[in-house]
Amino acid sequence: MTSAAPLARHRGVIFAIWLGGIAAALVVAWRTHYVADLSAFLPSAPTPEQAVLLDQLKSGATSRLLVIGIEGGAPGDEAAAVARAEASRRVAAALRASDAFASVHNGENSAWADAGRFLFEHRYAISPAVDAERFGVAGLREAIDATVSLLGTPAGSLLKPILFRDPTGETLRIAEALTPARAPRIDHGVWMSRQAPRAVLVATTAADGADIDGQQRSLAAIHSAFDAAPTPGLRLVVSGAGKFAVESRERIKAEVERLAVLGSIVIVVLLWLAFASVRALAVAMLPVATGVVAGIAAVSLGFGQVHGMTLGFGTTLIGEAVDYAIYYLIQARGGDGAAKRWRRESWPTVRLGLFTSLIGFAALVFTGFPGLAQLGVFSIAGLVAAAATTRFVFPVLVPNGAPGAGFRRRLARVMSAAASQLPRARFGVPAVALAAIVALVVVPSPWRGELSSLSPVSPSDLALDATLRADVGAADAGTLVAVAGSSEQAALEGAEAVGARLDPLVAAGVLLGYDSPARLLPSAATQARRLAALPDAATLAARLAEATADGALPAARLGPFIADVDAARAQPPFGRAALAGTPLAAALDALLLPGDATRPWRALVNLQAGDNGRLDVDRVRAAIADIPGVRVVAVKTELDAIYARFLREAEWQAALGGVAVALLLAAHLRSARRLAAIALPIAAATLVVLAALALSGAALGILHLVGLLLTVAIGSNYALFFDHLRERGEADADTLASLLLANLTTVASFALLASSSIPVLRAVGIVVAPGALLCLVFSAAWLGRGDAPGAEAHGKIAP
Amino acid sequence: MTTRRPCRPSRAERRGFIAVALRAIGLAAAIAATPTHAAGFDLGALTTLLGRVRSGEATFVETRRIEMLDRTLQSSGRLSFKAPDSFVRETLKPRHEKLAVDGNTLTMSLGERSRTMQLDASPEAAVIVEAIRGTLTGNRATLERLFETTVSGDAARWSLDLVPRDLRLRGQVAAVRVSGRDAAAREVEVRLADGDRSVMTIEPVASARATP
Repeated sequence: MTSAAPLARHRGVIFAIWLGGIAAALVVAWRTHYVADLSAFLPSAPTPEQAVLLDQLKSGATSRLLVIGIEGGAPGDEAAAVARAEASRRVAAALRASDAFASVHNGENSAWADAGRFLFEHRYAISPAVDAERFGVAGLREAIDATVSLLGTPAGSLLKPILFRDPTGETLRIAEALTPARAPRIDHGVWMSRQAPRAVLVATTAADGADIDGQQRSLAAIHSAFDAAPTPGLRLVVSGAGKFAVESRERIKAEVERLAVLGSIVIVVLLWLAFASVRALAVAMLPVATGVVAGIAAVSLGFGQVHGMTLGFGTTLIGEAVDYAIYYLIQARGGDGAAKRWRRESWPTVRLGLFTSLIGFAALVFTGFPGLAQLGVFSIAGLVAAAATTRFVFPVLVPNGAPGAGFRRRLARVMSAAASQLPRARFGVPAVALAAIVALVVVPSPWRGELSSLSPVSPSDLALDATLRADVGAADAGTLVAVAGSSEQAALEGAEAVGARLDPLVAAGVLLGYDSPARLLPSAATQARRLAALPDAATLAARLAEATADGALPAARLGPFIADVDAARAQPPFGRAALAGTPLAAALDALLLPGDATRPWRALVNLQAGDNGRLDVDRVRAAIADIPGVRVVAVKTELDAIYARFLREAEWQAALGGVAVALLLAAHLRSARRLAAIALPIAAATLVVLAALALSGAALGILHLVGLLLTVAIGSNYALFFDHLRERGEADADTLASLLLANLTTVASFALLASSSIPVLRAVGIVVAPGALLCLVFSAAWLGRGDAPGAEAHGKIAP
Repeated sequence: MTTRRPCRPSRAERRGFIAVALRAIGLAAAIAATPTHAAGFDLGALTTLLGRVRSGEATFVETRRIEMLDRTLQSSGRLSFKAPDSFVRETLKPRHEKLAVDGNTLTMSLGERSRTMQLDASPEAAVIVEAIRGTLTGNRATLERLFETTVSGDAARWSLDLVPRDLRLRGQVAAVRVSGRDAAAREVEVRLADGDRSVMTIEPVASARATP
């Protein structure tokens, strides 16, 4: 202030840096890729096995599966059943004709014509029965007798057209191995639900599960196929990961817009209350806007994309960041040097509040969910930018604060009344804290949130999904054996080794069956071994003559068989590419996951539980224990384990966050007595919120824990204020008003989140909104000086 | 993964369908030509009669005529059933085979191999199983749901003609005729759409004890 010129230059530099920063952030935000898929709210995987699982959930074959139901009509209504079957055939045909689907199944055999031809042509490489013994005289006789025993039955009529080419029944053996034990019911030639009047279809989209636009197009194709010839009384239901993803994206988009609009209304109303001045209102928006742009840019740079939910969470930033503007604009008024005085007297308190909030949001960064980490980074960058704007830019831009008294006088009166009245009930604070502790001890632990509780998919949609999956025999959370191999062949050989160990378990009834990629694509070694076991034409002819001597099939008519076997001997083993264009390719993709430089090839063997529906995982594990690279993965158990681990980690992080806040306050206060006094109302508020949630029967998870930490971080500011008030014994009306305003903005912004239909946002909102309010009330009661209503005495509200 | 019967001869199926249609017309004509129905002895009376026997055992001899091979095949074994929905057919000669149905679960054993499947997932198998199981246990509702039924004769000597309601299934199983005396089935004749035919004659073991 000694020289005007350097100061002006100094101001110019600050302003230029601010504008430059905003411009750069805007460029980044503009170029940002915005996403709204759910995978961001799946935990990042700690182990390679869980990585396989999560990969599958995010973009594997599971994520490309859509189950379609066509329902309508009474259960016994024959005409309706015919109409459903017709519609099923029509929709299936339309979807097969479109290129949006890799495969469509509805129970019609026609879908398998290509696959059947392929399997028939490669039967000697694929059939598990082929070995040298089977092509000896006794083996041939046995195999031919088994085939003949089926003739004259419905199964036999299917064999007849290929009888003289495949008298040993290799095609049948392959079909048996591929037919699932829990197949859907067939009625009128198509799959029908066993539970309800509903035809069911299973479609695998060509689009990747993570390609939500592609999934949306696939869903549109299904609807237009159904609507092409609508049948009165029939309706279409679709479920699957792609459907959930598309719907969630819509929901998140709508939610973000809603939160942005409501958030803006809240901030305008509150600022109008504070200043009743358009100019002040416009200026107060600056830190918020800067914070939002900086938050988006930081997330974009750190994660490569910004999740829609992060933007939705941004409304809480509005609530926090606007407080800085309010504090400054109110407190930095009055002539020359006001800004400097604010910087000296008030900024340290604001800074302390900023740091405690940062600690709270830092907990989000380390939760292990990429989506939550985004929220954390967004909030930290946003708060720092908003605080920096207030601290450095406002003194340049509005050196004398903002005019306008608004309704602050009334707010101040409310606040001073509260500060003088509430302390009369100060012992109510430890009393309710105690009651909350008792309630928490009595009520069963509410910490039973599951991973699924993070999903924005509604329970009714999940129920529909479970019903449709049951109809088609595709249980969701099963048990699988993951086989890792250094190459495709190694993975397939591993799957074959696992299959050999599982077969006895199937025979013993421990397992109902299993799906293995090696049944569709045997390893090259196995194919070569089978083909090598085939005898040459002359040998086969001689053996056949002997084997059929007194049998039902005359050797004379088996010429085509000899020719086919001879041709098969010259075939090279086929590879994955040979399956392309048949539904087998989609089936194989689901079970054989390509590896790359960072991860191995994986074969997945899906297990089906035995008769009682329960799977003896220990027996499976014991049976395959000595095969290298093999692991049994119980999907539900594994996912629950991942979540439980994250919850434990989050507990530690929350505890560390709490300790960090306490240390920060201790460093600021330098008094154990004052620290303890501040800690009590905060602890009481969190305990009451926790007890209320527990009593309401809510299942709490990681996000509620994060919410509790945020409550501590934000709520400590109010306690701190009353502590200062008690130590210094005075507070002007403006300070009281700005405190109430700050609390209202926080409570309002988190209450908005609590009203969200997205569980992730709602969980944080329902904890922090009441928590922040209680922190203020309890702090006023416990720390306020009921006997000295000094606020009013010092009341001065400048117009 | 859901593969079913990969190779289906569509031409044969069509041919079979025509054959079935002709045969159905013939059958209808035959039924129409039948001069007398024993008054009062209908499906209800028959299933009531059969339903009184809660379980039974029998031996069987089956003869199958296979058009394609131009010869007949013979097999024999044991049958047993237990109300409401268990049925076992065990072939002892010429080779050991077992087909066991319990509710909706079908288990087929051939030598040391055994596979389990859902009966309603395989309608063509269900037709044969229900024709026999439904008749033995006197399950009128199931018989009427799956078949067009015609009862002829009287309680002492009856026969039950079953034609699948689903035209698609008739393309495989054209008709089943169960004949019997009193509360015991004695013969099951299955005619497939492709012209193959099987006749299973049944000799009750348990009913010998039940009926003095």
